[in-house]
Amino acid sequence: MSERIRTLTLRASAIALCCALGLGLAGCNDEKFDTQSQIGPNPQLPEPQQYLFPPMHLADVVGWQEGEAPKVAQGLSIKAMASDLAHPRSIYVLPNGDILVIESQGPGVEPVTRPKSVVMGFVESLVTSGGGGGGEGESNRITLLRDADGDGVPETRSVFLDHLKSPFGVALVGSDLYVANTDAIMHYTYSEGQTQITDPGTVLTELPGGPIDHHWTKSLVASRDGSLLYVGVGSNSNITENGMEAEKNRAAIWEVDRATGRWRPFATGLRNPNGLSWEPETGALWTVVNERDELGPNLVPDYMTSVKDGVFYGWPYSYYGQHVDPRVQPQRPDLVAKAIPPDYALSSHVAPLGMTFYTADSLPAKYRGGAFVGEHGSWDRGEFNGYKVVFVPFSGGTPNGKAEDVVTEFLNGDGQARGRPVGVAVDRTGALLIADDVGNTVWRVTPAG
Amino acid sequence: MAAYDGRTVVHTVRPPFHPLLWSFAGFCFVGTLLTDIAYWKTAEMQWANFSAWLVSAGVVLGVVALIVAIVDLLIGRLAGEGASIWAYTLGNLLALVLSVLNAMVHTRDGWTSVVPWGLVLSALVVLILLVTGMLSRWVGYSRGVVVSDV
Repeated sequence: MSERIRTLTLRASAIALCCALGLGLAGCNDEKFDTQSQIGPNPQLPEPQQYLFPPMHLADVVGWQEGEAPKVAQGLSIKAMASDLAHPRSIYVLPNGDILVIESQGPGVEPVTRPKSVVMGFVESLVTSGGGGGGEGESNRITLLRDADGDGVPETRSVFLDHLKSPFGVALVGSDLYVANTDAIMHYTYSEGQTQITDPGTVLTELPGGPIDHHWTKSLVASRDGSLLYVGVGSNSNITENGMEAEKNRAAIWEVDRATGRWRPFATGLRNPNGLSWEPETGALWTVVNERDELGPNLVPDYMTSVKDGVFYGWPYSYYGQHVDPRVQPQRPDLVAKAIPPDYALSSHVAPLGMTFYTADSLPAKYRGGAFVGEHGSWDRGEFNGYKVVFVPFSGGTPNGKAEDVVTEFLNGDGQARGRPVGVAVDRTGALLIADDVGNTVWRVTPAG
Repeated sequence: MAAYDGRTVVHTVRPPFHPLLWSFAGFCFVGTLLTDIAYWKTAEMQWANFSAWLVSAGVVLGVVALIVAIVDLLIGRLAGEGASIWAYTLGNLLALVLSVLNAMVHTRDGWTSVVPWGLVLSALVVLILLVTGMLSRWVGYSRGVVVSDV
């Protein structure tokens, strides 16, 4: 009797050990990989790996000390334009040169659905509770900076709009000002020179907000003729782990009719599209997209792409065209067959959240016509990636060459975060502005000298 | 094994404390298998969430049971005869280790948090528990085992 049981037990243990070994191998394979091979139109895509627990490598927040600033590329100089802000996430420049700084915090309505939520929340709280660079006061508002003489030192600073709901995108068409809260595009009437709006505004179009609201930033841009608005609506999960119903109308760029508020999906399968901008040469709509996590340190590369009407870019079913994601069930081979790859990879987990094309002429000539991209930085790979602003040269309406570093050293030598770049914009003088939501600063990049 | 002639009166002396806790963990692991199967069949995320909670709760209870089992051992309450006590102890330890692994597999997002490895591990653990459950009749406090009060 006990002999038979012992044999059974042994056999079971042997099977179990084999399983454990197989799982272990799938989880621990992290050899040297050239991240440069994932910058450009045809990124190297390694085999997906699945973790036993996702590596969480977050940078401790230390903030900027007096006199510290990010490092800029040759020929440029950088200075803080405003500090002690409360999580500045994006920047919009009004026609009269006034600068709107959108200060925003996530809605924090994501429920605990699994033990994993508890563990990840705990690990995240360890780094975000560390001493930030001040400015932990009121957020979810827009601050107006007026720098009439263009010297980079604002003469006035005022709260332009307050009590918003996790705002991100802003667009102005004539006197109609639109603010994309996480749950609605709001309309306000703006007159030039105004430094404060007290009107509560009206809803143009409701957007998918809570419940959950995993990717909450709603990027916004108006069409050239002003008749339409385009808004980025990120997915409600990493990879549908909150259920398919939660993804309704998400992971898409919506086209909204400004006159009526009616909308239609313009492009779909974009996991978390931000930085909506018009490419100056062709007038095409471009976006930067945060791709999925937990398939390995080098999957899936985040990207920038032109966005074509009616096109499906794969999320959640596949990435970079027809690379099927095994985590999504039921699978949809019909949709995967239609998925097209994006134009230009930016490397894995760099988290691009802002983009702007450079059409001014005060910065060195090589920047003209290309795009600046704000990379917020990685959390789920051993080695940090991103945490900088890069420049992607363009020619003929498409990227032409490798992305190059423009603003770096948001991380200090010990891998601690002094700041993290998010939204980018160009001010009236042609200087590049960067919203730093961890350093609570707006940085201004000008030509050196 | 000592010959059991059917006449010896066996006294259960100093039964161990951990089996009660361990059986609660076992309920969780059986539940995990059931909700894993439900997710496998429906692809409804809520089942996978149930599994993640069940397997994690099982691991927590299992670790507590392990600590109590060590105490049992130290105070002489984890006793039994030869092979069966070893198979019982090692089998349960293996079930706990596999469940820790299983809890980690269940932290993945979506389908692969369950299919195939989560499901395989859950089934394996339940199989082991069936075996050690049968063995527990021969361990410590059950009839047919001579327990000496040491």
